[in-house]
Amino acid sequence: MKLLIVDDSNVIRQRIARLAGDARLHNLEIVGQARNGAEALNLFVRHRPDVVTMDLTMPELGGVECTEQIAAIDDKVNILVVSALSDKSTAITALKKGARGFLYKPFTDDQLVEALLEMLPT
Amino acid sequence: MSDLNETEIKVFIDAVTNYFNQLTHEPANVRGAFLDDNGGTAPVFDYSGQIAISGQFRGTITVSAPRAMIRHLLLALNESDQSDANLRDTVGELANTLAGNARKHFGGDMEISVPRTAAGAIGGAGSRKRPYVIMVSWKNYSASLVVDIERLE
Repeated sequence: MKLLIVDDSNVIRQRIARLAGDARLHNLEIVGQARNGAEALNLFVRHRPDVVTMDLTMPELGGVECTEQIAAIDDKVNILVVSALSDKSTAITALKKGARGFLYKPFTDDQLVEALLEMLPT
Repeated sequence: MSDLNETEIKVFIDAVTNYFNQLTHEPANVRGAFLDDNGGTAPVFDYSGQIAISGQFRGTITVSAPRAMIRHLLLALNESDQSDANLRDTVGELANTLAGNARKHFGGDMEISVPRTAAGAIGGAGSRKRPYVIMVSWKNYSASLVVDIERLE
């Protein structure tokens, strides 16, 4: 399984990349890291990941719009939104645009791994 | 235009205490909160991160923290990269998280920007002459959270 990490924070990208190496996610291979939605779209088309972690507040192209565009390319992709935006309407909008899950920041290591596990086929 | 009330300021206090508790299992403590009557006298530390607020609100949320505190936070997260860029990134992400979490109370009408970060003080005008300054301690470190927001009628 291939993972694309999308977040404008380098620290968050590094953290997700490290946690993606958790033994419980043994088949998860990181194929790219993007700092904004525009980079994410390019990397998605090039690598066709199975799972995407998606920040929402990013420069150039935000996460909701990016989620919608990625889902239009591949409606089977598993997009996990990882965002601090804690209002219900944002989560509902992201899910309507094609996200499969939502994890609020700040998150613990276990919360991220468990959220990624839910994105993987059983 | 109207000021945020005490309950709304507490939203940010809760967000910052939860942030440290969630990530490190050691909550931050609020040592005090006050109106900065003179404007611009809030303590400034080594790194600052700021979020601009728009939509039905206007202003900024600014976090300023000492280098040692951010390094300690990164260590607690098992992150070994303690470069200057990562320290700035961390304080920006902290500001972003506090602003984003506040939308649970304020809703999507509070729009937030991507973070701006700086070594030391961060420029940019707020909206109020008397912003709320919240002094936070975590472990033996002190940091400041400045909530400079007003609601548009």
